[in-house]
Amino acid sequence: MYETKYHKAGSLDNATSLMGSADDGKYLGGGMTLIPTMKQRLAAPSDLVDLGGIADLQGISTDGSTLTIGAGVTHAEVAGSSDVQGAIPALAALASHIGDPHVRNCGTLGGSIANNDPAADYPAAVLALGATIKTNSREITAGDFFNGMFETSLSDDEIIVSVSFPIPEKAGYAKFPNPASRYAMAGVFAASTSDGPRVAVTGAGQDGVYREDAMEAALSADWSPAAASGVDVSADDLMSDIHGTSDYRANLVKVMAGRAVEAAG
Amino acid sequence: MDIGGEYLVPASREIVWEMLNDPEVLAQCIPGCEELEATAEDEFTAKVVLKIGPVKAKFSGVVTLSDKVHPESYRLSGEGKGGIAGFAKGGANIRLEESGSDTKLTYEVDVQVGGKIAQLGSRLIASTSKKLASKFFITFCEVAQTRVSA
Repeated sequence: MYETKYHKAGSLDNATSLMGSADDGKYLGGGMTLIPTMKQRLAAPSDLVDLGGIADLQGISTDGSTLTIGAGVTHAEVAGSSDVQGAIPALAALASHIGDPHVRNCGTLGGSIANNDPAADYPAAVLALGATIKTNSREITAGDFFNGMFETSLSDDEIIVSVSFPIPEKAGYAKFPNPASRYAMAGVFAASTSDGPRVAVTGAGQDGVYREDAMEAALSADWSPAAASGVDVSADDLMSDIHGTSDYRANLVKVMAGRAVEAAG
Repeated sequence: MDIGGEYLVPASREIVWEMLNDPEVLAQCIPGCEELEATAEDEFTAKVVLKIGPVKAKFSGVVTLSDKVHPESYRLSGEGKGGIAGFAKGGANIRLEESGSDTKLTYEVDVQVGGKIAQLGSRLIASTSKKLASKFFITFCEVAQTRVSA
């Protein structure tokens, strides 16, 4: 790892001003992606601004129709929260299968979606549930937030404060994890919402998380595992790598969609 | 790994050919290009910053133009070292065909990546290469548009 200056921000304003005076700074969430990247010397920010000490980024609350989770909340906290388990059990289940215990106890919701790794789990839930991302300067809907692999509509000095999930009637998530990394080879989040069924796929698309329109249509006619897994999924825009071809992933998307709907009930 | 595609560039073949041989245009279109300097006929040194997700690596290397058949085709190749991050080399065979007043540009890209960046990013290299190639050609089409309307 190259030399870097570490700052612990005490508040959102403090964090943005630290970032403003840094030469080539980076915000640090749980550090589950950035720190290994720095150790590999594939990134060398001059300054790290740690967001872990900011109280505004903590906490989980629910108001009956919406579940709001602070950006600094860890995956383990989401998985173990009775509020999340009660409101959106699929989200608690999703968080309980991210990475390994180390990742779940350090990694955060905000860090995961700000990074927008094309194989991360959270983006599927955020997009399928039509969540709203609140930052230190504005609110962004999930559809406008994810801009393709590793890209979001966040500006360089913007900080995610919290994510608000409208509580669906029911929802389920299923992924086929890569056996080594636990990243999704294909992960499907299916939700039955007041706007009808919404299905988002992670791990498989070349441009990261996306909505599977054909499955949403099929599920709106018939909410059943067979309806979801019976939809034709084109391999054209799916990832192909040493772990699996795009055809293989296309099939995984169908199978995972069936399992997600089954899990939702 | 091989990636290909085609674009319809809104300019005549002669203009597209000129652009493909213009270091200023290439510097504008190569994603993350900070510097492109001619060192010899059809040879340039380049500094390129590759930024994908958490990774930010600076590559310095050489860009060459070869196998030129005016105004139909050539090969644009590059080879760069990113220090400890590893190396990347690759090229694009580009073919131009007239299509009315526009030009159909067909490309085939081959990429090799090695070192740490390859280990860490093995699951992403194909998607990344595709994305970089499409960035190049989308910018190229935009530059063509402004040239023609200028």
